[in-house]
Amino acid sequence: MKNALLSFVALMSTSGMFAAQPAETFHAYADSDICARLMLGPITESRVGCSLSTVKDGANPVLIRLQNNLVLDVNKKKMIDPLVGQFLLATGEVKAKNGTMKLAEVSPQQAKDIPAGDPARKLLDARTYKTDAKLHEKIRHELAMMPYISEFDFISFSLMGSDLILTGWTVRDTNRSEAYNRVKNIEGVTSVVNNIDVLPLGSNDMQIRAGARAQLQQSLSRYFWGSGSDIKIVVKNGDIILLGSVSTKADSDIAFIKCNSVQGAFHVFNLLRVVNQVKSAEKTQRPGSKTNVHKNT
Amino acid sequence: MSTKILEFTFTGANVAVALLIFTMAGCSRAPKPTVKKIPANAEFSGFFKSYANLKPVEGMDGALGYAATDAQKNLHKYIACVIDPVEVYLASNADDAKLTESTRSAATEYFRAALVKSVSGAYPVVEQAGPLVLRLRSAVVGVDFGGEADTVNIGKVRIEMELLNSETGEQIATLVDKESLGDGTEIGSGNPARQEKWAAARRAFDGWADRVRDFLNASNELSAEDADRADKSYQPYGAVAVAAK
Repeated sequence: MKNALLSFVALMSTSGMFAAQPAETFHAYADSDICARLMLGPITESRVGCSLSTVKDGANPVLIRLQNNLVLDVNKKKMIDPLVGQFLLATGEVKAKNGTMKLAEVSPQQAKDIPAGDPARKLLDARTYKTDAKLHEKIRHELAMMPYISEFDFISFSLMGSDLILTGWTVRDTNRSEAYNRVKNIEGVTSVVNNIDVLPLGSNDMQIRAGARAQLQQSLSRYFWGSGSDIKIVVKNGDIILLGSVSTKADSDIAFIKCNSVQGAFHVFNLLRVVNQVKSAEKTQRPGSKTNVHKNT
Repeated sequence: MSTKILEFTFTGANVAVALLIFTMAGCSRAPKPTVKKIPANAEFSGFFKSYANLKPVEGMDGALGYAATDAQKNLHKYIACVIDPVEVYLASNADDAKLTESTRSAATEYFRAALVKSVSGAYPVVEQAGPLVLRLRSAVVGVDFGGEADTVNIGKVRIEMELLNSETGEQIATLVDKESLGDGTEIGSGNPARQEKWAAARRAFDGWADRVRDFLNASNELSAEDADRADKSYQPYGAVAVAAK
């Protein structure tokens, strides 16, 4: 019996089942899981600001392989935690299929250290995202008109030329497919990657959703209307992510404070855009400011 | 010694109480389904608490519906639903003794499964009531009996469905669907000769379930004002387009 087991292990080892992945070294960016999944695209100042603020608030740090936008959940988070918002040279075993990485070594580097012409420069260059503004608007409009989008869903997208990546969160599985079906046949879109996350409807998260909406409707009712709202409340495993837009920084702060008082909520990540400040931010471009989150690249 | 006897007696009593609770819980888990009748000469079955505000549903022949438009209490405010077991209302003059349990359960369980399949795309079906959860109650109304023993005729059946706030019981939407999808169909007691008609009955139930979804879709359509606001409000967080030159 023991011999048979040993033979089986030996066979599996030679067939590669237990074989370790070869270690590889690549250029990466240390991000938060929230910003990585929400803001796929160029590493701008606003992206860096998002990474720093959400990790500070408790979000998980992840690595982005610059070459192909791959989001990697690493085993040794403490190694990258102090490096969030920076470029790195990372070495380890990557399991692309699972989106995981067994990290061996990381060292910070500057963007200029990445050689010109290296595919890893792709994410650094806003020109990569040069695309037809009309196409962007068509996609945006189609997604805005989805009927079953509630205060608890937020679907975002990145457009790289004619390649479209859908991201965000939804409480309805059908919204995920509906979004894909709405955009796949738009003229000018050649490929669609659907990274929309379907949220669980556990009773604790449902209590938090209802509590957060009640709190926000009470204090910021002008942002809510019959079938939707300007403020989006994404709740996942006890965490609240505030998205969408408000008109003043004070309203953004009120939303954050109110959601922090919701019973059962662990963390509140405030990614609300302040619309008026976005306009001024486009002129001043303050680094790391949350208001830069949506400035044009 | 006496303490030990007391302890034993007390433990024995505990076991007896536990058994009683267990038995009662077992009973409460499977309540006997009730079959009701439409009151004679009544327009509706009485399944809803209120039939107020019903009006013809645009684009759905034979359907009367209502959906709350209150900004705080409309269908948009919910994101999931629980679906109750389907109830049966016999026609006023039907003999309720003729309805067998197997026929009733075959019809109601099939229709409930069809509703789950159809509605879950709009409101994911969950097990428990709670915040943001609707309760869907439905009834097959006007069931009569076929020419042969143990067969149920659903030729003149209509469907009544209401959506309630699962926590408060407040009515959020109602639908009375009089579309006669079940003409000529019968639900039998397993007689192979009835298979074809049972297949037709299943199609009818699927059809009614699809019409419930159509009603939900129509009720969830954005008003022109809301569509305009949603369009202005929505901005993605991803890379923003740079006009190609």
